[in-house]
Amino acid sequence: MANTQSLIEQLHRIVKDASRVIVDHESLVPFKSDYSSEGTTPLAVVFPITTKEASEILLLANQYKTPVFPRGRGTSLSGGPVPVVEGIIMDSTKWTSTLEIDPNNLIAVASPGVITADIDKAASKHGLMYPPDPSSLDIATIAGNVAENAGGPRGLKYGVTGDYVLGLEIVTPEGKVMKTGGKTMKNVTGYDLTGLITGSEGTLAVVSQVTLKLIPRPKETRTLSATFEDMTLAGNAVSAVLQNGLLPSKLEFIDQACIKAVEKFEPMDLPVFAEALLLAEVDGTGENVQKEIDEIALIFENFGGCVTVAKNETESNRLWKARKLVSPAIKALCSWKLSEDATVPVSQIPAMIKRLKTIGEKYNVPLVVFGHAGDGNLHPNLLLDKEDAGQLERAELAVKEIFQSALELGGTLSGEHGIGMLKSPFLKNEVGETGIDMMRRIKKAWDPNNILNPGKIFSADDNL
Amino acid sequence: MLTSEVKKLLVQIVGQENYKDSNEMRLVYSYDATPTFQSLPDAVISPRNKEEIQKILQLCNEQQIPIVPRGSGTNLCAGTCPTQGGIVLLFTHMDKILEIDEENLTATVQPGVITLDLINAVEERGLFYPPDPSSMKISTIGGNINENSGGLRGLKYGVTRDYVLGLEAVLPNGNIIRTGGKLAKDVAGYDLTRLFVGSEGTLGVVTEVLLKLVPMPETKSTMLVLYEDIDAAARSVSKIISNRIIPTTLEFLDKPTLEVVEDFAKIGLPTHANAVLLIEQDGPPEIVSRDMEKIAMVCREEQALSVEMAATEEEADALRTARRSALSALARMKPTTILEDATVPRSKISEMVRAINEIAAKYDLNICTFGHAGDGNLHPTCLTDARNEEEMERVEHAFAEIFDKAIALGGTITGEHGVGEMKSPYLEWKLGKEGVEAMKAIKQAFDPNNIMNPGKMFAKDSRKRVLV
Ligand SMILES: Cc1cc2nc3c(=O)[nH]c(=O)nc-3n(C[C@H](O)[C@H](O)[C@H](O)COP(=O)(O)OP(=O)(O)OC[C@H]3O[C@@H](n4cnc5c(N)ncnc54)[C@H](O)[C@@H]3O)c2cc1C
Ligand SMILES: Cc1cc2nc3c(=O)[nH]c(=O)nc-3n(C[C@H](O)[C@H](O)[C@H](O)COP(=O)(O)OP(=O)(O)OC[C@H]3O[C@@H](n4cnc5c(N)ncnc54)[C@H](O)[C@@H]3O)c2cc1C
Repeated sequence: MANTQSLIEQLHRIVKDASRVIVDHESLVPFKSDYSSEGTTPLAVVFPITTKEASEILLLANQYKTPVFPRGRGTSLSGGPVPVVEGIIMDSTKWTSTLEIDPNNLIAVASPGVITADIDKAASKHGLMYPPDPSSLDIATIAGNVAENAGGPRGLKYGVTGDYVLGLEIVTPEGKVMKTGGKTMKNVTGYDLTGLITGSEGTLAVVSQVTLKLIPRPKETRTLSATFEDMTLAGNAVSAVLQNGLLPSKLEFIDQACIKAVEKFEPMDLPVFAEALLLAEVDGTGENVQKEIDEIALIFENFGGCVTVAKNETESNRLWKARKLVSPAIKALCSWKLSEDATVPVSQIPAMIKRLKTIGEKYNVPLVVFGHAGDGNLHPNLLLDKEDAGQLERAELAVKEIFQSALELGGTLSGEHGIGMLKSPFLKNEVGETGIDMMRRIKKAWDPNNILNPGKIFSADDNL
Repeated sequence: MLTSEVKKLLVQIVGQENYKDSNEMRLVYSYDATPTFQSLPDAVISPRNKEEIQKILQLCNEQQIPIVPRGSGTNLCAGTCPTQGGIVLLFTHMDKILEIDEENLTATVQPGVITLDLINAVEERGLFYPPDPSSMKISTIGGNINENSGGLRGLKYGVTRDYVLGLEAVLPNGNIIRTGGKLAKDVAGYDLTRLFVGSEGTLGVVTEVLLKLVPMPETKSTMLVLYEDIDAAARSVSKIISNRIIPTTLEFLDKPTLEVVEDFAKIGLPTHANAVLLIEQDGPPEIVSRDMEKIAMVCREEQALSVEMAATEEEADALRTARRSALSALARMKPTTILEDATVPRSKISEMVRAINEIAAKYDLNICTFGHAGDGNLHPTCLTDARNEEEMERVEHAFAEIFDKAIALGGTITGEHGVGEMKSPYLEWKLGKEGVEAMKAIKQAFDPNNIMNPGKMFAKDSRKRVLV
């Protein structure tokens, strides 16, 4: 206790502004959890706004051997920022001082706490675009995106966060500050640390600044939707579009349960009778957009889809809003939501959809599916009742089978949400003993005291 | 020197015919495409499969024998020069394209596949593998991956890394690791795929690679733009990009390079211009023609002497081939060609070109410059003679100054050729002590006995920075 006392005093010494250090119990409680899971109450939450503060906090943590949990907006769906043991939460949401667009180099530089959507907004003023668009883009931070290597609907055509990170400034678990990558498009000076830190879920470094690549903003976008009477046919249609060499900017899948949930959450005249809804967006210039829309429509129709092309922006916005509301809408239906993001090769999408349907029935759990169908990244969600122990048990088995199916089909446990604490027990099945061993060695080399975000990625039985 | 016992074991593993230690063989593999570096290996081994590689690595790890994996030895950073002896590992038996998956748009290949062979094989199926280093006729995929090589199409399509979805590698302790998969997205744990790409053979031996393919663009169009003023050419590059056009290719050649290339290729290149840009765009016809018009306009605004479109694909190909032969052509001129690949943010291209010319004048050297201008990746190339010690010293000073300038402009010391042995003394200039330490920690974690390509990337001593 005395130790905690002096730790907190030291935190106040580093961060002079008292409003940026939280220690009273009541205010600490919300920081126990993220969107998916709950941990323990932290000792303190500190909001650094400079690299120097972040570095000093880590030095201090090493001295006291107290864990530090980096945190953005806590929208993680894998328990990423959750304090699994007592420690300090390092929250970057107040660290938003820098957001610069360099239109000559097509680059953006941002502080870790900048909200993702703000970057794209700033870029669009220069006719540029920051493509990664996780559905949480209006609330999540760029550092959280980098740490999770977040994806989004536009990922199909434009790739994920990692494809746009040119360089980082980071603070190592031992408090050292360094820069990786830079403003150049190409860089092979040593190991690709930028690539290593991206997706490392706050376990290897605190991200203190991000340098991002921007691209010219497409002139036009058009949206089309198609309803299907059969979920598997919708899956086939997705595969067919891609195998015909078409590359829409978005290609999303929503099943009937999700459509109904959204309609209940916010009535907007969605086709609640369809078993599945596909949403596609095409971008580019005039004639090309029209051509691609026509080609996609034709393929959808061949698989029995009933196609509507959005006539104007209001109509497309309504459809995309529906897609964005899926997650909150289904959350409102249950007391506990288990959200997965197993990802499979494009050719296996129909097979995966079929298997998910079977798994839901087999274990008798409410299983709904939506997601970035175009890149094989589906989000099966289990809508559960916290009080129903039997159901929770069945759900656990169902999740295991989902993972197993994904791996059998050549896929991965996680396409974009990360391993965090929720999936860590399963990681070994995918990357093997050797894979885990190498990752563990990297972690140990960088963070000998296991200070930074312990209990994530590596499973609890790890004796790190 | 390998003991006779070790030699016996190695022969047992790979068979007599795949173990070579004659003086001729050792001499052949004592150097690569990098000038002024030479050192004899103890043996040259061509394993037939990954199991043999596992056994070789286990043995070498126990005995602390250096392993130098080698593709075609075309790297330009002394990445395959066996400076600490040991074993050169060749992939001549592991040169198969294992699968082209047209459903998921992927190719699975062994490391010894020649880059151009892969490109041709996928193009036969109407697919496209964009990374095209100028050395692609001879370079291997294993080498491309370990150097994270770029190419003429990199501006629009990115570099090798952007196409590596997964790989299989043998680690120094003989364990096999598999990373990634046929997936557009994968965030399960640390991204070891990206860590291996560009690791220059220092972390393990790559035994299989899963590559991403893309659909073949519909059309392609090529133009050559001539300039009186080098600066104007460089400014055009920045202006094209800031006009939000990303062409496939945007290459720069200065007059000395042009003259040499024309002398070599004889295709009627304009040797009266002081600089040229070779520009290509691909995609749907309407977009290509619209972009090319806009680019032409930007170039004319910058006082281009002329803007010529290639009339036929043959003509376009001749231009591309001419550009690709720049280094080979320059290499014929003088006994030693030292080429760099400092890279700067794209808006700094003209500043960098100017600085290179000033530095060449200051040290009285013959430096020709060409390169992937659109990426900010230039190749200042010094034609010199390694036997002339006095001149070599000036060359070294000049390049140190070029590195320094690149870093000062927010750039880096190598954009695509890698660090190898050659640039290892300069690594710290760019990364700082912390950066080098962090990388060393990773190397140590993977390869505690330092058997994988030792001496590469990390130098014993860092070069002192001369402040100018
Ligand atoms: C409604 C909803 C929709 C979503 N849609 C998507 C989607 O489409 N695609 C997708 O990929 N994800 C999605 N997510 C998941 C989540 O939004 C992303 O993972 C996001 O990147 C998390 O950002 P955050 O700021 O909330 O970070 P947090 O959740 O607070 O933290 C995420 C991880 O980042 C680490 N971290 C945070 N800041 C730093 C820092 N400065 N330095 C180092 N590490 C740090 C944390 O330790 C943690 O491991 C969604 C979530 C919700 C709730
Ligand atoms: C004329 C010419 C033009 C060039 N043009 C370009 C260009 O446009 N862009 C560009 O980026 N580069 C270029 N280069 C440089 C060079 O060709 C590339 O770096 C190429 O990728 C090297 O391929 P390689 O097969 O020759 O590999 P090598 O030179 O044999 O090896 C390169 C590195 O890879 C390692 N390695 C090879 N195979 C394996 C394996 N299986 N496992 C682990 N490590 C391995 C080696 O140890 C070494 O560190 C050029 C070179 C020349 C001579």
